[in-house]
Amino acid sequence: MEFAQQLVNGLTLGSLYALIAVGYTVVYGIIQLINFAHGEIFMIGAFGALSTWLVFFNGNTSVWVLPIMIIGAIASSVIVAVLMERVAYRPLRSAPRLAPLITAIGISVFLQELVRLGYNNPLLFLSTWNPFDFPSAKQKVPFPQIDVVTGAAFNVGGVVIQRSTIFTIGALIICAAGLFYFVSRTRTGRAMQAVSQDPDTARLMGINVDRIIIVAFVIGATLAAVAGVAQGLQITNINFKMGFLAGLKAFTAAVLGGIGNVWGAVLGGLTLGLVESMAVQFIPGTFGGSPWKDVWAFAILILVLVFRPQGLLGAKVVDRA
Amino acid sequence: MTSLEKTAGEAPVSRHDRMRSRFGSRAAVLAVAGGALLVLSGLLSWSYDDRVLGDLSIRFYPAGIQIYAMVIGVVGVVLGLLLLRRPPWLDPGRGLRALGYGSVAFVVAALVSIAYQAGGLINVNEGGWVGLLGALLILGAALLCPPEHLDVHSWPRLAGWQEISIIVVLLAVLLFTTAYTLNIDDAATFGCLLVVILTVAIALLGSGFGGYVGFIGQNNRRPLLLAAFLVAFLFPFTQDGSDANMSIATQILIFAATALGLNIVVGLAGLLDLGYIAFLGTGAYVGAMLSQSAFATVGWKPPFVVVMLLGMLVASIFGLIIGTPTLRVSGDYLAIVTLGFGEIFRLAMFNLDGNNGPDLTNGPNGIPAIPDLTFFGFDFGATHTVAGIPLGRFSNYYFLLLLLIAFVILVFTRLNDSRIGRGWVAIREDERAAEAMGVNVFGLKLLAFAVGASLAGLAGTIKAHQDTSVTPDQYIFLESAFLLAAVVLGGMGTVAGVLVGATILKLLPEKARVVNDYRLLIFGLLLVIMMRFRPEGIVPSKRRQLEFHEDDEDLVELAQTEHLEAK
Repeated sequence: MEFAQQLVNGLTLGSLYALIAVGYTVVYGIIQLINFAHGEIFMIGAFGALSTWLVFFNGNTSVWVLPIMIIGAIASSVIVAVLMERVAYRPLRSAPRLAPLITAIGISVFLQELVRLGYNNPLLFLSTWNPFDFPSAKQKVPFPQIDVVTGAAFNVGGVVIQRSTIFTIGALIICAAGLFYFVSRTRTGRAMQAVSQDPDTARLMGINVDRIIIVAFVIGATLAAVAGVAQGLQITNINFKMGFLAGLKAFTAAVLGGIGNVWGAVLGGLTLGLVESMAVQFIPGTFGGSPWKDVWAFAILILVLVFRPQGLLGAKVVDRA
Repeated sequence: MTSLEKTAGEAPVSRHDRMRSRFGSRAAVLAVAGGALLVLSGLLSWSYDDRVLGDLSIRFYPAGIQIYAMVIGVVGVVLGLLLLRRPPWLDPGRGLRALGYGSVAFVVAALVSIAYQAGGLINVNEGGWVGLLGALLILGAALLCPPEHLDVHSWPRLAGWQEISIIVVLLAVLLFTTAYTLNIDDAATFGCLLVVILTVAIALLGSGFGGYVGFIGQNNRRPLLLAAFLVAFLFPFTQDGSDANMSIATQILIFAATALGLNIVVGLAGLLDLGYIAFLGTGAYVGAMLSQSAFATVGWKPPFVVVMLLGMLVASIFGLIIGTPTLRVSGDYLAIVTLGFGEIFRLAMFNLDGNNGPDLTNGPNGIPAIPDLTFFGFDFGATHTVAGIPLGRFSNYYFLLLLLIAFVILVFTRLNDSRIGRGWVAIREDERAAEAMGVNVFGLKLLAFAVGASLAGLAGTIKAHQDTSVTPDQYIFLESAFLLAAVVLGGMGTVAGVLVGATILKLLPEKARVVNDYRLLIFGLLLVIMMRFRPEGIVPSKRRQLEFHEDDEDLVELAQTEHLEAK
């Protein structure tokens, strides 16, 4: 019974990781960049959903609000991700590898602080203008609880299944199906595959590589935004720091599955979520339990990077100094 | 054929160029006039209100902002006069451009502060407007100056003692400026002064003096180093017993020592480490656990010298453990592995409180009440009076940390100039080629991690005593990012760069309390902007600068000259 319960918990956690991990893997697959700020895109998605709700439906918890919140989340994430690519990453595309990574750290800190200071104060120190009366993001902000997807949990033979769990896993299934269709059936998706295999040849074949890179960022941001909403529904509050740890775990998941491989990211996310849940439950002694679960996640990251850098599904081995 | 000769053959096409060729000779007159106006403005009253930016309302008695305006004015006059008889190794126009933009920024900032604090531009007196006119004239002069080609072979050759006295004078100016700047408490004045210092420095360095000073420094390395340490040693004596600035200075020194350790790993060996703060933490926890503190979890309390050595040893063992994966992973993956290790360190320190695993660190509460150091009866907690000047607790630690940083710099430079350092550079540039040439790649990589970690560990043991407590939340990822930023902003692989970077990153948030809440926002933005516009850092090593700007012919020539003269 405990095992079944942890299986459910692990799959929920894993779906969240998987949704974020796809963003790392698509971008890495195309321009070999670890987009360290991707966790922040996830965080901005959650805040975008909250803002949509506060502006248009404050107090309304009907279920039809949810799709509009998700659209709001996706819109804000996508805008930030595309701006980020355009302003910060594109000028550095031919720079030595260290430069984009440090830029990414800078963006990550910048976006966190921007949300922390600017959410209820968009003009920062210039004025205290706050048109929609947003709450301060300096501490945890409560996330709206929507009918149907939150509320009383189901109990299936002793296993507690939260409604948000179903939403999260469902979101992963829908997103994965959509991604599969996009990557393998559409022209743009195939162009993406071509660019990730050989950008120079792809360019010669008339593919607009810059556009494909933006598409990769858009896909990652979309899925991360959905994950942000799912996280908000699950934990019932959001904060400006939520992206850092989630991003790191999701990156672990992407590496675990084989970075550059979209299905690897999904598989890696689910695996990591399961391992974390099981570790909490089944590692005996004082090193078990939730205080150490992050340690186990990072230990897995290090072990995978050292012993099987190509990941579970074994994408092409990238050797770069 | 240089780039200048190429363009000189063609007729000037743009309007800007035509303006330059027609009015170029008048630039000197304009610059001198602008400089003179700024000097004059210093003698006039700037503000009607005498409570703003200190007292600026009195005529013919310059203070604060007025003196700064006069300094800029004098530099403007000097550069203007140099325009008339230009030595081939100087380009005053380049300096004037920086001076022009900087002085306009400074005067505007001063006027805005006056208007903001006193309520309206009406409170600005004639001095402010004269100053603005002077600044605009300098800017105008700068825009008329044609770009010149610097001839780096024509530097004046002076006798050894003359060069050394130039160094001594420059360092004395540096000491005086630093002491003066740090004692300003008013945030607006501090901001204006910072603009002035940066403007004057960039104007003088940019116009060609920088290259010359660097050249002198190359010729007299030992005297330069000695004089620099003398200046640093004298700094506490300028503080008149106040511990406020000394506290910041000790923080900067610890931060800089750690960043120098990181510079060995990142700057020399090219191994990106995002969890480096863990080594400082290791040293601090070793120092705390073996200290006399009543909360120390280990019963053994050895003398501090032993603790220092143990701190180095434990940190370097951790370094070796973290370095082992470097055999198999490289580049971005290594960065993530080290980040993972850093987080594991923090979480472990947070968790090892007896409930989860053995009780080593008291968990989130950390180890408080660590007593001050005592060496042979010298109590670091007490105030000592030397030559009538009281030196407080932080001054004592400052002297100890100065010794530490001297040691770290010694290790860094000796390693850099040795076979090992060349091996690291070879690995950084091309690992396979280095291996093929017989460089012991794995051993040298491990050595980089071990040496860097042990230096950070050493700094950590002192930090534990200076902070009097050690908690896990001092060693978060953001601190590692700060360390990396110090290395990157300052200039990878150079000592001076890291010192500059560490000073900027630690000093600014402390002094500019107004922006304290925004410091991380600015930090993030700064990283992005630096990577975009000056990825080689503020004080770059020539080699790295060339990597980023391969097509800059002046730079190539300069690097070649220095290379030849070094032989």
